[in-house]
Amino acid sequence: MVGPVQNIVIVGGGTAGWLTAGVIAARHQGRIQQGNFSVTLIESPNVPIIGVGEGTWPTLRTTLEKMGVSETDLFRHCDAAFKQGARFARWTTGAEDDGYYHPLMLPQGFTQVNLVPHWLENEQGRSFCDAVTPQGALCDEGLAPKTITTPEYQAVANYAYHLDAGKFAPFIQKHCTAKLGVRHVLADVQTVNLAENGDIKGLTTEQAGEIAGDLFVDCTGFRSLLLGKALGVGFKECKDVLFCDTAMAMQVPYETPESPMASHTISTAHSAGWTWDIGLPTRRGIGYVYSSHHISDEDAEAELRRYIGPQANGLTPRKIPIRSGHRETFWKNNCVAIGLAAGFLEPLESSAIVLVELSAKLISEQMPANREVMDIVAARFNDVNHYRWGRIIDFLKLHYVLTKRPEKFWQDNTDPASVPDRLKNLLHLWKYQPPWFFDEFDRIEEVFPAASYQYVLYGMGFKTEVMPGDNSGTRSTASGYMNENVAMTRKLRTQLPKNRDLVKKIHEYGLQAI
Amino acid sequence: MPNIVLLNSQTHRTLCVQAGASSRYGDNQRFVPVILGEFAHLAVHYPILLTKDQDTGQFFIGAMLGFDEGENLFLDARGMETYRPLNLQRGPFFTAGNDLAIDLDSPRIDEAGKPLFTESGEPTQYLQSIMALFRDLKPGLEVTKTFVQTLSSLKLIEPIDVDLAFDDGSQRTLTGLYTINQAALRALPDAGVIDLFRRDYLQLIYLMIASLKQVPVLARRKNSALLKATAALQGA
Repeated sequence: MVGPVQNIVIVGGGTAGWLTAGVIAARHQGRIQQGNFSVTLIESPNVPIIGVGEGTWPTLRTTLEKMGVSETDLFRHCDAAFKQGARFARWTTGAEDDGYYHPLMLPQGFTQVNLVPHWLENEQGRSFCDAVTPQGALCDEGLAPKTITTPEYQAVANYAYHLDAGKFAPFIQKHCTAKLGVRHVLADVQTVNLAENGDIKGLTTEQAGEIAGDLFVDCTGFRSLLLGKALGVGFKECKDVLFCDTAMAMQVPYETPESPMASHTISTAHSAGWTWDIGLPTRRGIGYVYSSHHISDEDAEAELRRYIGPQANGLTPRKIPIRSGHRETFWKNNCVAIGLAAGFLEPLESSAIVLVELSAKLISEQMPANREVMDIVAARFNDVNHYRWGRIIDFLKLHYVLTKRPEKFWQDNTDPASVPDRLKNLLHLWKYQPPWFFDEFDRIEEVFPAASYQYVLYGMGFKTEVMPGDNSGTRSTASGYMNENVAMTRKLRTQLPKNRDLVKKIHEYGLQAI
Repeated sequence: MPNIVLLNSQTHRTLCVQAGASSRYGDNQRFVPVILGEFAHLAVHYPILLTKDQDTGQFFIGAMLGFDEGENLFLDARGMETYRPLNLQRGPFFTAGNDLAIDLDSPRIDEAGKPLFTESGEPTQYLQSIMALFRDLKPGLEVTKTFVQTLSSLKLIEPIDVDLAFDDGSQRTLTGLYTINQAALRALPDAGVIDLFRRDYLQLIYLMIASLKQVPVLARRKNSALLKATAALQGA
């Protein structure tokens, strides 16, 4: 075998770096223990970590479970709380009562029947979400998605987490070094040494000398020291589609330590962007993501403060520039970028951490045995990632194009010139048939499945024609599932505890592993 | 609402308690928490299983006496012929620190019951037996907790699904019950096995495994009860 791939070197000690290290080390634990595989993470002792992403996807449960992390520990050490999706307030009309959920549960019977045309035919005054899943009602009431007797990582209602990103990376680091045999090197990379074929031979570091490796993972954040700087891979912006370029964030205390804690992300539209509102047990993380071409920082801050109310008094917001886009390619030679080094998009659908997980998983599952076959895997990886970034950009844009809000920011967003062709085509098609299976979103590990499109489209009042007679063949199946949803909603409302109460209990007693 | 107060030979001098097993007094429990010292008595009659406390999610061990809420299949008009778990025997009594307390609102408080004190204020034989019971029960709860924690940390607990079909056509699916994971037990390293043996845990673990054979016995009891009820209905 020519050039076996045995030594993985990850540069960067943020969430992306440590999650990648953990996923790869857990998957290849057997080889690590036999001494013929290693995972090394190089972290600068001088570069601060950008704690991006307090919202996650349900994939994180599987990712952490496979790494052998205890869910109880996650709650205790990362200020984690449950997330059952997002509520988008005021995105359609801007009215006080305008809002819809994008929950994490699939519509009832999703693999059996498409409930959309049945709901369209007879809405019965219910939102699409409430007609097909109990999760919106659970969020309305601030309920947790499980009980204290539900084992770790198992769900009664599908869930992800809200967590303190600043605490998450050190938490994963500890697990990686103590349990998974990841080597942690504190050093600054001075030069990236290239071979004649353009591969990275090794890194010269200030504190730890030369570090050689077979595969290098660039998790150095926006700087993209390896793939971007050393290998010269360019950055493809998408500000022509997604206009937001600035975020202004605050950590806001609760009125009292017992104040209710939402079990979903609250995303509220404002004049030139939207705010995230994420409830951790200790505080709320709130931030305004806006387009600086449509609003001044001063006005944005005033809008943010108006949203938060008196709880914002005395707090200073942190301004974060957003450069939406991604690398032109993600894996070149023996170097692959993950996390912010690969790209960044506004955190409207918490896509940052899930992309890290999916990328790390693909690399670990497809770990090339040697340098000869690496390019084949790299091509695959690039294909999948171009697809994913493209679909995420489309899906984020979907939230904007259906708006009826009058402000310039929102009207500019509906300009067809700013809508990717693929999305334009789909929106055209969906006027006559609702998204479901066979709708392109059929890859293994699709970030946003057709169900997500359903929730956003019909949450925002999109109209799809239903042809007379078209529903008759599936009507009884559909009404069966809708009735089941009513029963399940009633049952879960009485069974599930309040979000804050369950998190408190997990801190006190812990969840059982089984 | 329980009204639990410290037992006092002055104020409670004339108090009497119904000590026998009866559904009127709360012996109609389907699952009763038990302590390690009872395992040998229990295993010959009941399945000894684990379940989770609904409030804390923590595992505890209990004897399974029935299938439905409030069902003790070993209880009849005469009481309980088989071994009566300490947690039923203790009746309306509790401990508060080292002192005995009593629930004055318990239906067991009854003039027709057994007196607690003699006329001179000395504990009666019945009350002395309760005091003796708590000398076992109180430390027993602690050692049982440690035992359960050991099972949990060694990953020796696994869920058990009980699916039963009775002759009257009814079915029961019991969830939330757990037992010993025998595959995990067999896979323990030698040092772990010796540790369990030295702590006297190994025999308790095997008693729990053996007690699983009481599940079908319990089901037969339930089946006869159901058939009797059906026959009575048809007779009427």
